[in-house]
Amino acid sequence: MARQAHAYHMVDPSPWPLTGAVAALLMTSGLAVWFHFNSTVLMTMGLALLLLTMYQWWRDIIREGTFQGHHTPPVQKGLRYGMILFITSEVFFFLGFFWAFYHSSLAPTPELGGCWPPTGIIPLDPFEVPLLNTAVLLASGVTVTWAHHSIMERERKQTIQALTLTILLGFYFTALQAMEYYEAPFTIADGVYGSTFFVATGFHGLHVIIGSTFLAVCLLRQIQYHFTSEHHFGFEAAAWYWHFVDVVWLFLYVSIYWWGS
Amino acid sequence: GIPTNEEQATGLELRALLAQKKGKDPYSIFRPKEYAGTSEDPHMVPSIGDKRLVGCLCEEDNTAIVWFWLHEGNPERCPSCGSHYKLIHEELPH
Repeated sequence: MARQAHAYHMVDPSPWPLTGAVAALLMTSGLAVWFHFNSTVLMTMGLALLLLTMYQWWRDIIREGTFQGHHTPPVQKGLRYGMILFITSEVFFFLGFFWAFYHSSLAPTPELGGCWPPTGIIPLDPFEVPLLNTAVLLASGVTVTWAHHSIMERERKQTIQALTLTILLGFYFTALQAMEYYEAPFTIADGVYGSTFFVATGFHGLHVIIGSTFLAVCLLRQIQYHFTSEHHFGFEAAAWYWHFVDVVWLFLYVSIYWWGS
Repeated sequence: GIPTNEEQATGLELRALLAQKKGKDPYSIFRPKEYAGTSEDPHMVPSIGDKRLVGCLCEEDNTAIVWFWLHEGNPERCPSCGSHYKLIHEELPH
């Protein structure tokens, strides 16, 4: 049988890029249909197709790498570059929202009362739940590092414990933040303060949920023996993403919660 | 515990790993060995066929690569700088 003489992975044809593109089309047009014609059918179909695409695409990558051995060191290096570039693009995404926040808060307009927080806005006390949230995420950064070292040291039980703890801390953050959102004395409709607060922290919360999901997938894979002590890039990618989420929170906390109060 | 790569790797990843342990590099993952390129110490070029393309960067910082086919048998020389190259047969791991 003719075999390749190079270390790279020439992937087989796959339908998932197409289904992903169709999902994007259905979700965006579905959003417009929802706004104008009061129907969520198209958007829901798009969301379902998106979830199916993600599940099957990433399942195929696991099959190709873990079960078929296509992820040689050069291929893994490419995956690392890819994840780093993706996280960098997300950094720029958040940078935009921080720009918006500082634009409005450094020179508050007369309509706001010429002050920040604007007149009438009662900001959240940064030393209450937000500080707890900071501790929770920092602790989760420690536990995910513990999990990584456990993998490299071939400690199966500790890896599972540390990874589970990381995910639980992530859920705890999400639950606390949800409660904060419910109890907050201001809403997204409360001027530019509300807009910048909820859009920035809202997207961050979404990324916490995404990161927790990624870690949960890693936990399932770890339980099923996918990772080796030398080759566990899926886990490393999840850990990088999780640290990124933590760092974004630190900037949010210092800028919006603390300085912004 | 957690398996090692040696215990659990499969397919191309395993073949590359096992070859590397034996000091070989059939998939050209690493930088080639350095040779003087003289007639006594020609560049050894592994090949799975009986000829292989060679690209010679005659001097450091040259912007033009000199490409030529290297055939099995006696060492051949780069048409530009005269460095010696010799084809060696190697099989891909099974």
